[in-house]
Amino acid sequence: MNRTTFVLAATCAIVGAADVAAQRGQRIDPVTTAQAAAPVDLTGSWVSIVTEDWRWRMVTPPKGDYARVPLTPEGRKVADTWDLTRDVAQGNQCRPFGAGNIMRMPGRLQMTWSDPHTLKIEYDAGSQTRLLHFDKSRKPSGERTWQGWSVAEWEFVGGNGRGRGGSARGGSLKVVTTGMRAGYLRKNGVPYSENMVMTEYFDRHTEPNGDDWFTVMTIIDDSRYLTQPFVLTTSFKKEQDNLKWRPTPCEIAPPLK
Amino acid sequence: MKPLLFLILASLLSPGLAFAQIDLAGDWRGVSHEDTFSRGGVVIGEYVGLPLTDGGRLRADSWDPSLLTVPEHQCIPHPVTYAEHSYAMNQMRIWTVIDPETAQVVAIRKRGTWMEPERTIWLDGRRPPPEFAAHTWQGFSTGRWEGNMLTVTTTHIKSGHLQMNGVTTSDDVTMTEHFIRRGNYLTNITILNDPVYLTESFIRSSTWVLDPTLNFVPYPCGPNEVVVEIPRPPGAVPHHLPGTNKLLAEFATIHGLPAEAARGGAETMYPEYMEKMKTMKPATAAATR
Repeated sequence: MNRTTFVLAATCAIVGAADVAAQRGQRIDPVTTAQAAAPVDLTGSWVSIVTEDWRWRMVTPPKGDYARVPLTPEGRKVADTWDLTRDVAQGNQCRPFGAGNIMRMPGRLQMTWSDPHTLKIEYDAGSQTRLLHFDKSRKPSGERTWQGWSVAEWEFVGGNGRGRGGSARGGSLKVVTTGMRAGYLRKNGVPYSENMVMTEYFDRHTEPNGDDWFTVMTIIDDSRYLTQPFVLTTSFKKEQDNLKWRPTPCEIAPPLK
Repeated sequence: MKPLLFLILASLLSPGLAFAQIDLAGDWRGVSHEDTFSRGGVVIGEYVGLPLTDGGRLRADSWDPSLLTVPEHQCIPHPVTYAEHSYAMNQMRIWTVIDPETAQVVAIRKRGTWMEPERTIWLDGRRPPPEFAAHTWQGFSTGRWEGNMLTVTTTHIKSGHLQMNGVTTSDDVTMTEHFIRRGNYLTNITILNDPVYLTESFIRSSTWVLDPTLNFVPYPCGPNEVVVEIPRPPGAVPHHLPGTNKLLAEFATIHGLPAEAARGGAETMYPEYMEKMKTMKPATAAATR
């Protein structure tokens, strides 16, 4: 093997090893902050585009309308006894704005870095805030909240750009949330329990017309109220500014008949 | 050039074949937790959340479901613009096509159940056919990997359903899809752009779960399966002329929505439309007679 061949072979081996490491989700470089390591930029102002489940998201559906939510008998019973007036009287008007449903709430969100290890999502719907913690050494206080405690990690992908149309290495954001107060999967009192575990994957995509989107896949596991994982996908379009940002209190319209 | 050097250079520089990173092959079952009724039980006149042009709305208004019984229409499969979002297509089989000489994946093939539509997503870098080439129900698809995401562009699609209540895409529609696999889940994101019937991009998504136990039952549809369901004079095509479709108001009336909201349009996709609806009166049966 001459020198040129050796150099090429070594380069190939290094590239291949990095790809394998990346595909296994291992750290591939020595960067020290989540912000610096981000394989995808999710920061900015985003608006939810409601083309799916419109009748369950843009208006408050009638009590007992839990079509396609895989509820247990206990979950159905809770949904059937939902009372908006009672929730408001008991100070629970933020129940539909908890982590289990906030991404389905029509509205705008802003993602920023709260610190180099924490991504912050602010929602105008219900004026809610989520903190996504990349630093796993941080621990929750123990008190349950509407948005719970979210642990985040980047998922790196081993795309090496080879081939026609292949792109540079990318990745996704994975978030696991626990420690929530019991809340609603829909505005009309379809319940999730405080033991619910929510896993989310955020993927960003840019379209040929220049529109930037992210789509979040949400998997909700709740053995008390759900017979199987409840899986949803929700899409947000990037906005150039936040001129339409209108924080509102936790308030929903009365249900339709 | 020495053989080893050639192999290394070929490995690093091979330009012709896309590098498939994630295996999408398998039998997939649709997870139907969202968009329940738009995927099969949508009501006539239900256009909420659809960025329809006036032309798109008029075309949907003119649709009569009896069209599906006309012999020439009975075997029309769901077009690629709708297939992944239909309950009738709740099963999907994906497999790869390997070039025997290069051992590379040159295409992904997909097959559904209802009417057995089959499509090919080319990954070998080929270009779409010329504009004048025939349009088909599945169109012409090319794909490329973007990180963990297979991005597919489809053109040359026949005019067909966007949802099963007469809302239609034109044959100028183009479709961008993103397929993302995570373990046993597969996400499909679809974005349609149609200069004729849509004022802006229309996005929707679906989730699939790997299920090796699926039983794909044949669904042949051809001359032997077509029957006369409703006797009609030759050439009769069920339809509604403008202003004559009495069923259009039903959706808003049943659900107590404002009649204007039910007519759709891009503004109904945006959160601020909730505020606008507060100024509107819900439709009533009396008002819609």
